[in-house]
Amino acid sequence: MKLKENYTLISALSLTCFLLIWIVITDVLHVFPAYALPSPILAVKTFFLKLVQKSPDGSTLLVHIAASLQVALSGYLLGAIIGIPLGILMAWYKPVDMFVKPIFDLVRPIPPIGWVPIMMLTLGIGLKAKAMVIFVSAVIPCIINAYSGIKQTSLVHINVAKTFGASNVEILRTVAIPTAMPMIFTGLRVSLGVAWMTLVAAELIAATKGLGYMLQIARTIGRPDIIIVGMLVIAGVGAILTGALEWFEKKFIRR
Amino acid sequence: MRTRVGFLPLMVGAFAIFCFFALWHVASTTTTAALFFPTPIEVLRYFFVSMTQKIGKYTLWMHTLHSLRRVAVGFGLSSLTGIIVGVAMGYSKTINAAIRPLFNIIRPIPGLAWIPMAILWFGIGETTKYFIIFMGGFANVVLNSYDGTSKADPTLIKAAQLLGANDVQVFFRIILPSATPYIFAGLQVSLSTSWMAVLAAEMISSYEGAGWIINMGMQTGNTLMILTGMVAIAIVGFLLANIMRVVERSLCSWTIRGT
Repeated sequence: MKLKENYTLISALSLTCFLLIWIVITDVLHVFPAYALPSPILAVKTFFLKLVQKSPDGSTLLVHIAASLQVALSGYLLGAIIGIPLGILMAWYKPVDMFVKPIFDLVRPIPPIGWVPIMMLTLGIGLKAKAMVIFVSAVIPCIINAYSGIKQTSLVHINVAKTFGASNVEILRTVAIPTAMPMIFTGLRVSLGVAWMTLVAAELIAATKGLGYMLQIARTIGRPDIIIVGMLVIAGVGAILTGALEWFEKKFIRR
Repeated sequence: MRTRVGFLPLMVGAFAIFCFFALWHVASTTTTAALFFPTPIEVLRYFFVSMTQKIGKYTLWMHTLHSLRRVAVGFGLSSLTGIIVGVAMGYSKTINAAIRPLFNIIRPIPGLAWIPMAILWFGIGETTKYFIIFMGGFANVVLNSYDGTSKADPTLIKAAQLLGANDVQVFFRIILPSATPYIFAGLQVSLSTSWMAVLAAEMISSYEGAGWIINMGMQTGNTLMILTGMVAIAIVGFLLANIMRVVERSLCSWTIRGT
């Protein structure tokens, strides 16, 4: 027990050291010019100011967060709703697999970011284009994980179900999908991470609102404090989303 | 182990791809989309033409090579530091306790969110791109190396110690080999992320590279250029995704993860 306290102490110490060094090189010694690295104190101040202030990018922090979440979640949910059933169908019905897999393999190696320009040109700069890019980023892990989850179904279980006279659809519903559930949730988690990252990048490239846009504006006018706040908020919201999904998973899957 | 591809799946697969391109072709010739959306044949032709003719400053080959060079540097650096940090964290609880809180702050920040900060710090030169690629892959390599190292079988370690192995021998003979598959899992993900990061970095500020091509296509409304860039991106993405698998198979043949 003593040892564990020691480690906590080390952790706390290293965190304090990090913050102290940061404060010393910015506020006290001014090693870096103000446009490159703000002091952590200024960053905290900016965070609270940004909650109510609209300058310099036209919206308060919460509006940016809401805009980003709207885009990210609409693309993500669409990806999950289409990706998971498609993955299941591909794994369970051979003809679907044979037909869809080649097209899927053709599209898969393109990183989600690579879709931004073509979506922007065809769908415009608004929510639709970005949601479609997020959709592409989210749908791929969903399909892959649902697919391999179903494929993991034990042949013995399937045969037992067959012996008891279950139909193909019944086996899928009562044996295969429950087996695949943990994998499906892994897919949901992976695609949530990718979706959130893609969203930020898409907003950096083209947007008029959202956290990525806020970062981009802060960079062009040289406000590193807003960039730091933006990055930490992005990280925080991402962590909260992942946490919510994990909570949901625990509720949903009884192990 | 070779899996034999049967005749029927091959035919259906070819048919599916044919349908995909046929649909694209029909859509881009008969509907209003034809005004700005090229047919697959045009894309293919432009793809081969731009291998010898320049888009912007370079040919398609040179653009791709520029991107790959950036990935090589950034990915190399992030793998090296990531493995060292991760293995150190897994090996020593003290190092873990010291680094963990800082790492936990950085980890949830998506690699691409570093782009604005990187531009402020390093300008718009090559360093920025290396840094962004570095941040894109770093966290994943650290996590996986840590996992692999801390999961080394204690029975094996004790057995080795009993037989008189010193710490260095235990580390190189037992801990590192058992961590290798995990490290490779991390590297594989990190390589794909690196490819994505370089595209994003090039789209935001650069004068060459695959990301520049598609971004330039977007700026000038040239869908032909975008789609050609995407073809090149897909080919490289495919190669990068598989290259790690091949390396892994030759380096740690004792544990082949499912493909």
